[in-house]
Amino acid sequence: MARYGMALDYKNCINCKACEVACKEENGVLLGADKHRIWVGQNEVKGEWPLIDIASAAFLPSQCQHCDEAPCQMVCPTNATYYDENHVVRVDSEKCILCSYCMNACPYDARYVDSRTMTVDKCTFCSDTRLARGETTTACQNTCPTKVRTFGDLDDPNSEISELLRTREHFSLKANLGTKPKLYYLT
Amino acid sequence: MKIGPLNIPLKEDFSLKSILGFEKTPVNMLVAVSVLAMLAMLVIGVATYLMHGHHAYNVTREHPWGLLIAVYIFFVVSSTGFCIVGSLGDVFGFKDYTMISKRAIFGSIVTIMAGFTVIAFEIGHPVTMMIYNVLSPGLTSAIWWMGTLYGLYLTFMIIEFYFLLNNDMKKAKVFGLTGLLVGLAAHSNLGSVFGFLNARTISQGVFYPTYFILTAFITGIFLSFIIMGFRYKLNFDEKTKKLLEGLAKIQGLLISILIFFVTWKLLTDMYGGMPNRAEVAGHILGSGSFWTEVILAMVLPLLIILKDFGKSPVLFFWASLSGMVGIFFMRYNLVHDTQLKPLQMMKTREYQLPPEWVHYFPSATEIMISLGGLGLCILLYYIGTRAFNLDEEEGH
Repeated sequence: MARYGMALDYKNCINCKACEVACKEENGVLLGADKHRIWVGQNEVKGEWPLIDIASAAFLPSQCQHCDEAPCQMVCPTNATYYDENHVVRVDSEKCILCSYCMNACPYDARYVDSRTMTVDKCTFCSDTRLARGETTTACQNTCPTKVRTFGDLDDPNSEISELLRTREHFSLKANLGTKPKLYYLT
Repeated sequence: MKIGPLNIPLKEDFSLKSILGFEKTPVNMLVAVSVLAMLAMLVIGVATYLMHGHHAYNVTREHPWGLLIAVYIFFVVSSTGFCIVGSLGDVFGFKDYTMISKRAIFGSIVTIMAGFTVIAFEIGHPVTMMIYNVLSPGLTSAIWWMGTLYGLYLTFMIIEFYFLLNNDMKKAKVFGLTGLLVGLAAHSNLGSVFGFLNARTISQGVFYPTYFILTAFITGIFLSFIIMGFRYKLNFDEKTKKLLEGLAKIQGLLISILIFFVTWKLLTDMYGGMPNRAEVAGHILGSGSFWTEVILAMVLPLLIILKDFGKSPVLFFWASLSGMVGIFFMRYNLVHDTQLKPLQMMKTREYQLPPEWVHYFPSATEIMISLGGLGLCILLYYIGTRAFNLDEEEGH
């Protein structure tokens, strides 16, 4: 079994939002601004013409960080949130009671309520769709025109992601919380 | 009344007629009409919820916990408070407080039942909860421990009440002590539901699990004044005056400790301007609802106690009503303030403003179900006063 993670060369992101569209299409995510599994964060550009601070205009793609020590999993009263065989953090909608504790506990605001099942939903690394079909890429990675995302097995030393993490400096979001995210932002 | 091996001593004249046969004074009529209106709201609120689910609530992705969570906390804090006050006499043996034990333990049962009613319409899938709480328990979840322990606590409270009704003080003491310990564990777990939120620096830490126990005791004393006020129609006899004077003095100490706790909590939140935590504390200090809580639940009751060290039970009855309104704001603020700061601070759509404070105001459905919970609580308590002898019996 694999231990999937994702590296993001986030400075290459052009905020085209193709990843968001591909995710919704592939995984049947509901339309609507607050119903998203992945998103691209954008800072307000600082400064005034002509002294515009171009560096402040970076885009930051984000989603569920598939933490190794996931707070959402720890707080779930019915173990509806669990780690699957590939260490992907998943939600079993049969067991979800919609207490919303995980939504409050997730430091990355990665969870939302799916209005069809009235249970909590989030990124699954395309486990039910692409991975289930035997593919080894996620929809967001596959569609990205600037190759921001690299998805792969962190336990495989020969995988592209392992190679990237060995050779490029990287950071994780809110690493101080000890959640050990499996999304790595390349600098 | 005998049910199998159980002997439940109901009042001889207990019937529908005795329930409806209250004295038709203006105050009683006002309370009766208000309770009926609140129960009607419960029916309308629940019907709306059953038709529209969580869409009938104003909870959002950024603010998933709303008024119903606050009201649930309000009721279970009240229950724990009643349990603590009830235990003073029948568990710890303080003779002056025995006269309120039965009434307070009954109060603890009806308040937690009202709390469970409200939370049943907040949890999206309560039946699934009952099944998977058992089949697939999340032992690292504070909600699991809180819910399970509160279920046990209610069982112990009912058993204790049964033995109190039958004047079996020995068994009442055993179940009372067990129920109190389980209740305190459940209640501090409720505090840890917030204390374990590492992502929410304003709530994270040891403060809430301990603060919940303190505020439960304070709530229990406010409620004791209210139920005794209604019992004696504010004409207290000497024995009751002695009880209430003692409780008022304890309350003075507890409120002083609470003010001390809250002051230091806010000072440590503000100190050094830690990102997220300090700004949220600043926002809380600038909010009207925080000062409503401070004035109604802390300053006003404390000033009235300090006036003559608890010798004015009638005045403190009114202060207790104000105190309970303050306690409601305390619970609402706790839930809302925890979620004030968005966890994702970048804008995700073009032409959108960057996220600031999360706004929330309860929907009509949430308000109706909450008021309905209050109506149900008052109704159950009133029926209890008609069905059982909640006064201390002579010779015990």
